[in-house]
Amino acid sequence: MQWIPEYKADVPRVERFNFLARFSHWGHTVTFLLCLFTGLALFLSDAGWLAAIFGGYAGAGLVHRIAAVGLTIILAIGMVAGFKGIIAWFQDILRFGVNDIMFIVKFPLEFFGFPVKVPPQTRFNGGEKGNSMVTPTMVILLVLSGYIMWFPAIFPGGLVRVAYWTHDIAMVLGTVMVSMHAYLGSFHPGSGESFWGMWKGTVRADWAKHHHAIWYEETYGDKKDAE
Amino acid sequence: MLKMTNLYDVSKCTACRGCQVACKDWNQLPAVIEPFTGNYQTHETTNGDTYTIVKFIEQIDDVKGIQWNFLKFQCMHCFDPECMKVCPTDCIKQTEWGAVIKDYDKCIGCHYCTYACPFEIPQYRKRQDITTKCTLCYERVEEGLTPACARTCPTGALQFGEREELLIQARERVKFLKANGFPNATIYGEKELGGLNKLYVLTDTPDKFDLPVDPKVSGNIGFWQNWVQPYFGWLIPVTLGASALSFVTSRLLANKAPAHTEGGHE
Ligand code: HEM
Ligand code: HEM
Ligand code: SF4
Ligand code: SF4
Repeated sequence: MQWIPEYKADVPRVERFNFLARFSHWGHTVTFLLCLFTGLALFLSDAGWLAAIFGGYAGAGLVHRIAAVGLTIILAIGMVAGFKGIIAWFQDILRFGVNDIMFIVKFPLEFFGFPVKVPPQTRFNGGEKGNSMVTPTMVILLVLSGYIMWFPAIFPGGLVRVAYWTHDIAMVLGTVMVSMHAYLGSFHPGSGESFWGMWKGTVRADWAKHHHAIWYEETYGDKKDAE
Repeated sequence: MLKMTNLYDVSKCTACRGCQVACKDWNQLPAVIEPFTGNYQTHETTNGDTYTIVKFIEQIDDVKGIQWNFLKFQCMHCFDPECMKVCPTDCIKQTEWGAVIKDYDKCIGCHYCTYACPFEIPQYRKRQDITTKCTLCYERVEEGLTPACARTCPTGALQFGEREELLIQARERVKFLKANGFPNATIYGEKELGGLNKLYVLTDTPDKFDLPVDPKVSGNIGFWQNWVQPYFGWLIPVTLGASALSFVTSRLLANKAPAHTEGGHE
């Protein structure tokens, strides 16, 4: 059984994510997951065993804060240094069209492995566009509510109380997205190459043509010269 | 077991703050000096090293002119303590006789109890990264002694005993006050929040003493504790389960059409 398709260096490949994008993606993945597991120690009742991994509740709290600062710094670097990339990402999300709706409608079948035919996709397919909207929103909510919970004395009490449930709801929705996203971006056979795009930066050209036809044509194909 | 508590009668309090000092002394709390704010009150509210304070509340009365209302303020030792419910490390416990106490070794200073408490009582002690509050001197009471504050009070404004007996006494006192120029005199703590294990005899309505007339647990805290925490998290195992299922089904289906997975499909 195959977990992830083999990385093939001897076939034509095209760039999908530059270094900065990959650096911030894996940086916020690690810090997000650290925050998640240390936070879950408090969220779940009787999760002393989870806290014990981090040296008890106080240790988990410390790791949560260190990871939170790490996450904030990585987000800031990504946003400032990768400003152009963020704008391009945003513009692609805004190209939400019929092809994306078709993708999302058919996606549940695709998810479980049924063969489906979907219309050509731009750089990010309908599902990725959805993920690109929901997950970052949840992360921003987590960061904002998190700092309010960390320094409650400088905020009004009512806001602190709102931050408590906001932090938890954003955690749950963010984690729901991330758990499907992490699986789709790795072991899901239908996504194949995309992991290498995020890990090494390039994907097989034939895969790109297949999965993100519009993007491929515009960036590397015939339409590139036409522009 | 019978509830043991304090009865504080504002009509007998002279604001000498003996209770405040006795509390500091017994609990070995350092002095906290806050800047003068134009009021005789020593601290704005309880703080990490001050479990109880005497509030000086200015009242402007048409007939009597400016009046001070005094109020000894500290943890109310609620029968149904919200602080205990939100604590993620389970460090808050309730004794059988009604004291709500904390195990400071387990506290991580998350502040949840501060904001869950309808009176915002637990306060942060930075040097230990914990929140603290009045303990109803449970170590003393369990040795058969009276809480330090009640032992010290020179005027009899603070008493300690069985709650039921103190309530009888409080009702008598309110009756007396009502007949003697305090028509709004009332008991506080008998029914508020389902009962508080601190009783007050007030000479006027609670709002005149900086106390919430009908204290309530914030709706935000209720939503967080009763809906989000117990139920919402189940969405996570559902998606993890769906991903695990997909891991199996997508491979089974792919085996039927092997060419399909070559480099992924669309
Ligand atoms: C800048 C980012 C963040 C900051 C400043 C922050 C801060 C905090 C603080 C101060 C607490 C209170 C507990 C304590 O004092 O240790 C907390 C709890 C928590 N955090 Fe975060 N956090 C951040 C990001 C995250 C992320 C990314 C996640 C998960 C994906 C997360 C999940 C949780 C959870 C589950 C709790 C426990 C809530 C409960 O007890 O119900 N946090 N966070
Ligand atoms: C182990 C966990 C993870 C894996 C294996 C993973 C994998 C990937 C891959 C392969 C891509 C590129 C998809 C493409 O070709 O377009 C991607 C994109 C992305 N990832 Fe992750 N990721 C993980 C965790 C996370 C986490 C924790 C977050 C955020 C909190 C996140 C946020 C994103 C976003 C916003 C994108 C761009 C939109 C999209 O393609 O859906 N990822 N990830
Ligand atoms: S007054 Fe506040 S701190 Fe005291 S028992 Fe009630 S909820 Fe807890
Ligand atoms: S500050 Fe301490 S006592 Fe209060 S809820 Fe957090 S861990 Fe519990």
